[in-house]
Amino acid sequence: MPLAPAAVRITLVSVAWFTDRHFFLLSVMLYGLSMVYSIFLWRKGFRRDDYINYLILLCAFGLHTTAMALRGFRLNHCPVTNLYEATAFAMWSIVAVYLIVGLWPRLRFLGAFASPILFAIGVFALMPSLDLEHGARPGAPVAWTSIHAALMALSYGAFGLSSIAALMYLTQEHNLKLHKIKALFALLPSIQRLEFVVGRLLISGFILLTIGLVIGAYDLSRLDHPHSYRGDPKVVWSALVWLIYAGLIVMRWKFAQGGRRFALGAIGSFIFVVLTFWGTNVLSPLHNP
Amino acid sequence: MAIVVIGLSHHSAPVALRERFAFEEARVPAVLEMLRNARIAEEAVLLSTCNRVELYAATSTEPPAAFDHLREFLVMAKSYSDPLTDELYTLGEPHSVHHLFKVACGLDSMVLGETEILGQLKKAYDVALQHGHTGSRLNKAFQKAFNVAKQIRTETNIQRGSISVGSVAVELAEKIFSKLADRSVMVIGAGDTSEKAARALLSRGAHQVIVANRSYDKAALLAQELGGRAVRFDDWAEEGENIDIVISSTSAPHYVLDRHKVELLMKKRRNRPLLLIDIAVPRDIEPEVNFLENVFLYNIDDLQSIADDYLKQRQQEVARCELIIREKAAALLAGGIPGPRNAGVRPAFGQ
Repeated sequence: MPLAPAAVRITLVSVAWFTDRHFFLLSVMLYGLSMVYSIFLWRKGFRRDDYINYLILLCAFGLHTTAMALRGFRLNHCPVTNLYEATAFAMWSIVAVYLIVGLWPRLRFLGAFASPILFAIGVFALMPSLDLEHGARPGAPVAWTSIHAALMALSYGAFGLSSIAALMYLTQEHNLKLHKIKALFALLPSIQRLEFVVGRLLISGFILLTIGLVIGAYDLSRLDHPHSYRGDPKVVWSALVWLIYAGLIVMRWKFAQGGRRFALGAIGSFIFVVLTFWGTNVLSPLHNP
Repeated sequence: MAIVVIGLSHHSAPVALRERFAFEEARVPAVLEMLRNARIAEEAVLLSTCNRVELYAATSTEPPAAFDHLREFLVMAKSYSDPLTDELYTLGEPHSVHHLFKVACGLDSMVLGETEILGQLKKAYDVALQHGHTGSRLNKAFQKAFNVAKQIRTETNIQRGSISVGSVAVELAEKIFSKLADRSVMVIGAGDTSEKAARALLSRGAHQVIVANRSYDKAALLAQELGGRAVRFDDWAEEGENIDIVISSTSAPHYVLDRHKVELLMKKRRNRPLLLIDIAVPRDIEPEVNFLENVFLYNIDDLQSIADDYLKQRQQEVARCELIIREKAAALLAGGIPGPRNAGVRPAFGQ
């Protein structure tokens, strides 16, 4: 079986009998636990302080970081060389940003909105066919490629968290429009603050995306035949994603179309990224030789 | 020694009677001194607020006699000569302790779950303590009462939420705007409710109040009272960029703010969130306006129904609070010096 040699290789270089994938599996299980607890918080109307959920996500983050560190030590560079690693990295950056933002009690409930998404992506990432040994890109220096991949994953993390905050915004806005009392007694932040968080995260993601793409372009120019990759699906897709987010930013800041439209835009764009990421990756000879 | 209570409250007596029995703050230590010198009670605390006057005492006299002495004392202290029936209630253990705990938690207040009474009770206890009128019995009971009040505040919802229209408006503003300090309030028209709402917003930090009224003089008057400024009624829309919260209560038969006007206002404000509170009947603001992006319109019914929902929530919590109170009272009475075995002779109204 083609998977067996990869699995054997991974197992051979694990710490004791516990591989980095085991650590990742444990962290995904904790994301699942957090999801279950979040449903309970949601049913209670987000009234109590969410520190238990924060702690669960903190523990999951510890295990997740361990998994990535082990993989990184084994590979001797930043673990973003295949789809499993890239997905795990993107998830990791969502949780990392959440843990910082969640230090403010009012924003802590973002975790309750984030955990179902983290769990879903985590389960997807655990699919064995994503974790294949890949060689380096055709002729490109490994260091720059890793930085490119890491920046892209971080930017998706920022976009992901911004769409989670946007979801929270839409929930609150809906309750306020319909004069529902749960808009008031839920310990969620004001919609203006949520809009601010969505905007800042989106801009951060966009900056990371831009730098990541620039590095990617530089990387590309160092290849033997860079122009042959001009029509590469992933390259075209990346330009499209960049344009979509640029458009969102212009819509928000130049044309003052904030609020609901902006939140829906943030969520829609991220869903588009999530749905098309792996497909274009597989189709791209540059990323999937 | 047993803890007893004698007093009257808004449950048992109208305000005309309550004000006859109210004690000035400055007189309280002297009254307590008189009470203890007359050997009616060994320890005493006097609580006098606009809604209740109550004397909490620890006495070794048997309750029926103790109640008579206390009643006589109160009537003499206030030179009250008219007949009294059940306006003055008396409670012995354990009901006296239950009552103390209930009062501390706001369960006996006119506004269920209000928190002001705890501060007033603490002050009354402090005054008695400083003048040496309390002993171990009342000290333990009052400390326990304060702890129970804290526990109930954190563990139940009895004190959560706003039950007046003005404070609901403030809560809404805090859920929409990130910082109330940068927000301006515009009051169009006049009225008791709109003034209360504006005051509530100001007390929570709103930046300024602008008042508009058909009569400029009235506007100026209200603006002065609220520490804001007045504008001519026809010019209020010019303030566009400055307005974040509008409280409207004119007697106009038509819409003062229709969809078109609000759209223009939003454009001027670059679509920042806008809170509109319509207290008028007939309504001042076209209801369709709520469909606009980033506009939140609440009329008086909406605010009142939120306040009612909160009150209902508080009422649902009462049973849970009473359970906690009974537990803690039983613990206090079991652990303390054994008092007389018979319970209160006449329970308080509403118990």
